[in-house]
Amino acid sequence: MPELFPDQDPLDVRLRYKPDVIKGDMDSIRADVKEFYSNLEVKIVDESYDQDTTDLHKCIAFICSSTPDPEKSNLCILILGALGGRFDHEVGNINVLYRFSNIRIILLSDDCLIYLLPKTHRHEIHIQSSVEGPHCGLIPAGAPSTSTTTTGLQWDLTDMGMSFGGLISTSNIVRGAKVTVQSDSDLLWTISIRKTN
Amino acid sequence: MEVMRHASTFLLPPSSPPTGDGPAITYALVVLNQRLPRFAPLLWSRAQLRVCADGGANRIFDGMPELFPDQDPLDVRLRYKPDVIKGDMDSIRADVKEFYSNLEVKIVDESYDQDTTDLHKCIAFICSSTPDPEKSNLCILILGALGGRFDHEVGNINVLYRFSNIRIILLSDDCLIYLLPKTHRHEIHIQSSVEGPHCGLIPAGAPSTSTTTTGLQWDLTDMGMSFGGLISTSNIVRGAKVTVQSDSDLLWTISIRKTN
Repeated sequence: MPELFPDQDPLDVRLRYKPDVIKGDMDSIRADVKEFYSNLEVKIVDESYDQDTTDLHKCIAFICSSTPDPEKSNLCILILGALGGRFDHEVGNINVLYRFSNIRIILLSDDCLIYLLPKTHRHEIHIQSSVEGPHCGLIPAGAPSTSTTTTGLQWDLTDMGMSFGGLISTSNIVRGAKVTVQSDSDLLWTISIRKTN
Repeated sequence: MEVMRHASTFLLPPSSPPTGDGPAITYALVVLNQRLPRFAPLLWSRAQLRVCADGGANRIFDGMPELFPDQDPLDVRLRYKPDVIKGDMDSIRADVKEFYSNLEVKIVDESYDQDTTDLHKCIAFICSSTPDPEKSNLCILILGALGGRFDHEVGNINVLYRFSNIRIILLSDDCLIYLLPKTHRHEIHIQSSVEGPHCGLIPAGAPSTSTTTTGLQWDLTDMGMSFGGLISTSNIVRGAKVTVQSDSDLLWTISIRKTN
């Protein structure tokens, strides 16, 4: 955060961007960082006893448990730093979208964003073209799709099957203000994030 | 079920003695449009055929001299000259294209074909350049396969499935990925000086009902894996050999060590 505000005092910036909770197995957080936030009374929760779920999974579970049920449908969890680095970490992050499929969760990197389109719904994606696009894709990550239909893409799908080893909609282009997707399988939607606004 | 043997010996320093078992592997290299990993010169030296996918040519042109900062850039570029540059040519810089064209590098513009990615085209080319009897000893190394746009990454991974009869390894600075086809029982001989310990098995594309492994910290025994359920990520290699048998095609991924 101080690097993103190079003209400001680092301490001021850190006080302004103070997390509510730090959670995980604590094998990566630096000692000085932990001490700094501990002194600010940030809640630091060491869950290293639980080796069955990733740090991200623990954080999402915490956010869900902190959100009353009626408000869960209005909740959207944004994840920074979800992509890149080790591929197995990336896949673990993507799997969290499937494991918490009833919660809106968006994975973000510098280049793009990803979220789940559950097969239970017909989806309308309202493109914010000043900040995202035009590159996009639809990915049947966990299981093949026998039938997917889209509108609003350069290469629309009409009752098309998609699978690894066959067709996957990558390097597609958003054509208008709205994309619709309907599929018999859960799909990942991904769209590029524009470098400059 | 036949055993398929895997070993990332291409990451070992060139001075390493040959492993001695099995026929010699012929390597081909494809460079994609991402920052070159630090081991790019090593893999270049292993390969008998070097192909740049469109903007990958920019990365060789800019990136190889950066990896040899004490040497004259022109010398480095002449030494690391690709055999072919192939793709739809919408990323390669004009000055880079001209440089390699003057060196009589084969530059193949396939922009008419919008149905396949640049990587797909490069792999198809390498396969068609390899006589059938030699295809079983061929291993294609892909640099710059991960990172950047997620849909590009997925397209690169899909190439492993679409050319499942060819050994293809996706590489980044941090890790490597290849396919373990369900048709074989797999033996992965870990080169612990250059890879590991972090690893994973991923049922991309279809769930697995039954996967069994040995040699991992958290081995699987007749375990199902799927998106939405269990996927073996953040696993740890325990010994010199990992075995995998599954009813579904799996992706194997292992971390690459930062320092040798």
